[in-house]
Amino acid sequence: MPKFQILQRMTSRDRRDDEPEKGKGKKNDRDDASVSWRKRKKHFFVLSHSGKPIYSRYGAEHKLAGFTATLQAIISYVENGGDNIRFVRAGKHQVVFLVKGPIYLVCISCTEEPDDALRGQLELLHGQMLVILTKSIDRCFEKNKKFDMTPLLGGTEAVFSSLIHSFSWNPATFLHAYTCLPLAFSTRQAAGAILQDVVESGVLFAMLMCKHKVVSLVGAQKASLHPDDMLLLSNFILSTKSFRTSESFSPICLPRYNPMAFLHAYVHYLEVDTYLVLLSINSDDFYHLKDCRIQIESVLAKSNVLGEVQKSVLDGGLHVEDVPVDSSLRSDSPSPHPGQGRAAIASRIGGPAGLLHFIYRSINLDQYVSSELSSPLNSSRLQKELYRAYQKLYVSMHDRQIGPHKTQFRRDESYVLLCWITPDFELYAAFDPLADKALAIKICNRVCQWVRDLENEIFLFGGSPFSW
Amino acid sequence: MFSPEAPCELIEAERRSYVFYEAEPDIWMVMVLDKSKYTESVWRSESLQAVLKEIHSLFVMFLGSIKTLLDKQPSGEFARSHLYYFFTDYLTDFTVSTKVQLPTFRECLKERRTVQMLTISRDVAIEIQSLVTVLGSPTGSSTMNNSIILFQDLLVSTTLSPDDTANLFAYCVMRLTPHALSSSLSSSTWSYIMKSKTTSNVSAVSSSPSTVFAASDELRGTSRDTSPGGEPRTPNAPRPLQRDKWSKGEDGYLVTDAWGVEIGTSLLRTPTILLQQSQERMYLCVYQYKSLTIVLLVPVLSLVNGEQGILLVKKQLLENVSDKILSIEEKLSKGWGGENAYHVGGYRYLLIDGDRNISRASPPAKVTTLSKDSLLALNNLREQVDTEKKRSKLDNPEHEKDFEACIRAKNNAWVIAKVSRGRELYMALEKASETLLFASEAVEKFSNKYCEGAFSLD
Repeated sequence: MPKFQILQRMTSRDRRDDEPEKGKGKKNDRDDASVSWRKRKKHFFVLSHSGKPIYSRYGAEHKLAGFTATLQAIISYVENGGDNIRFVRAGKHQVVFLVKGPIYLVCISCTEEPDDALRGQLELLHGQMLVILTKSIDRCFEKNKKFDMTPLLGGTEAVFSSLIHSFSWNPATFLHAYTCLPLAFSTRQAAGAILQDVVESGVLFAMLMCKHKVVSLVGAQKASLHPDDMLLLSNFILSTKSFRTSESFSPICLPRYNPMAFLHAYVHYLEVDTYLVLLSINSDDFYHLKDCRIQIESVLAKSNVLGEVQKSVLDGGLHVEDVPVDSSLRSDSPSPHPGQGRAAIASRIGGPAGLLHFIYRSINLDQYVSSELSSPLNSSRLQKELYRAYQKLYVSMHDRQIGPHKTQFRRDESYVLLCWITPDFELYAAFDPLADKALAIKICNRVCQWVRDLENEIFLFGGSPFSW
Repeated sequence: MFSPEAPCELIEAERRSYVFYEAEPDIWMVMVLDKSKYTESVWRSESLQAVLKEIHSLFVMFLGSIKTLLDKQPSGEFARSHLYYFFTDYLTDFTVSTKVQLPTFRECLKERRTVQMLTISRDVAIEIQSLVTVLGSPTGSSTMNNSIILFQDLLVSTTLSPDDTANLFAYCVMRLTPHALSSSLSSSTWSYIMKSKTTSNVSAVSSSPSTVFAASDELRGTSRDTSPGGEPRTPNAPRPLQRDKWSKGEDGYLVTDAWGVEIGTSLLRTPTILLQQSQERMYLCVYQYKSLTIVLLVPVLSLVNGEQGILLVKKQLLENVSDKILSIEEKLSKGWGGENAYHVGGYRYLLIDGDRNISRASPPAKVTTLSKDSLLALNNLREQVDTEKKRSKLDNPEHEKDFEACIRAKNNAWVIAKVSRGRELYMALEKASETLLFASEAVEKFSNKYCEGAFSLD
């Protein structure tokens, strides 16, 4: 039997091993009668238009049939009145609905996220399903209203859990942009060059990734990759254990590229967290892609790209403490590179003027860079709080009717937040709540300049233009 | 199931919005808005809920709680007919020709259920206090009366609790002040919300009797009178919100036949209201001299002679305080800056003191100069502030949230919200400079000059 077929069977067996994730932490709240289930802060449900449960973040799906039937009844009741329900608000809770043909998605949340943000997350959840099944799944429901989709998603619990978890730490989920691992320009160029060669041999997309960060990314002429597709694909790969253990060749769908059809992904881990993804339209391209991988690996080793990647991971990215603030700094003075310590006039809390964190998004490149999370944002609770504050700020700035706005300054007991949106970039910065406004503005200017000084290292330039 | 501590307040669908308010235990009011029937269907859910709260508060003030009416007649017929006419009469204030205008984003610089106060000098304040003292305890009487005094549509003094004041003030502005009395049913420009004479870009929907009904499981009964679109039997209950029912008598007292006549006499019944705080029923006597409106509240139980007793009270009041009233009116008129008295050049603002239910805002005519985008941006910001405040209250009712947001909108206007120690300031600046610091400076100046520095946190 050819080796790759064996690999496929190993892959599906390993996926089933991912299922124990469902049991962990969920055993006490199996259904809607359980108090602990009800007290969960954020539920996600996927159900069919006949009310059959397909996925639930908490609890066993088969025990939630009554509950999902109720959700379906609510949606249908409103639909029968010629309307489509969007959300329900009760105190701190919001119930957000998203209807995607025969698939209904519902989020019940008492986090502080705006309903627009939650709806965006439901869109991504739906997109993650399409990565696994494509939109052709809709036809199954057309043929059989009682079609049970759950078996098709067997073993993918970890994928959805991981995506949902990323809603509270990954800015890509609301920025709809991707981020790169900081690397010297020449290093990234070297990686890009070999990926370009591979793409020219008939590969649709070639991606060299380190966790969720891009090392290099090349697409065939006129092929573009949406950041949401990159997010969902990298989430799928990172949360599926079997991809780590051996080279894999798996059908996947990129919803933004083409939701109706499968592409085929060759995935191979080169290092612990560094992996190569080669996407092809052909289902019989395994050996060709395997050869491409061998070629790439050789070039990367010769040019020490992987070594540089490891170093970058160890160094970490940008730190707020490194923001240059010396007033005597001239524009020709070198800016601190990511990971390099530099004496800076820092407040006792975070970076200068109380800077705690920032996200800078390049609009033209569809890429963002964010500072590392460090003291005082030490705990996951504080980090989650910060991301939720960013989400609120983002939704506030990108008002559907009259946005985007240009500037926002926001202060409460937790943070000072500053946001700028220009035609070229967006900046989101969080400061200590007692931060001085004028100083905060100055520091934000410094951050923008710093990012521009480092852009060759933190962004991916050149290669195929990405547009959609 | 998930939110046992807080009831549903809003259901948003693509075509309709549903606003919920639990008026009394197990009694709900629901407002359903069909967005397709509105030219500008952008509103703040809190402002719509405030409409429901106001209707209910006024209803209880005049007619008692819905629960009480249901207890009187569990079939609901009694309550239903009361509610039908009350709602219909209330909504006439929102009606322009045949269309109902509910508060939209254009009213984002107004706050329902607050009072607007007149700024007065110290010497006038002392005179008013003296008048209030006499009103409260007439000579030879051990009764403690209550009173509120208005000049034009602004509150001058009150002896009532903040909630009772807000209710009665709202009613005075709707029906009793000189401005209210001079507005007629045929006027297409007057409403509680839009006191300016403009009819700019109204957001309207056709009214129909069936849309004004407050629905609840308790009220849905088997009465024949509840067929959709059908009017209930005319009740004997008063219709206090019916327009053009008040008029000024020769003696200066306002009279109304909305409460009918005293049995066996031709004397018009004096209206009564129920005070929320003390649960005391009070006679409502209204005296008006030029721009001054004095509302005297006399405990019903203190007058054994009923209407005869009220006549005596009215006569005594005229004898005791006429001179004071003349003097106060003259002084207030001299100091009156007109409708634009509270306009601050370059600013369009709303200031709210939540603890005392007081607000002050730019005159409506000035607010209409703001562009649609500025108003939308400010409305959106207010919605965000509402969410923050609500959440903070649910997390910790004792804690007052401090919050500040300054947004430079796409149209370059600055929209600002500041919440501090129970007070709120909302502002739109269309002619401010580009920088955040300059806009902040403008707000700081305003705060120092008009808000005793309450919002000058920097």
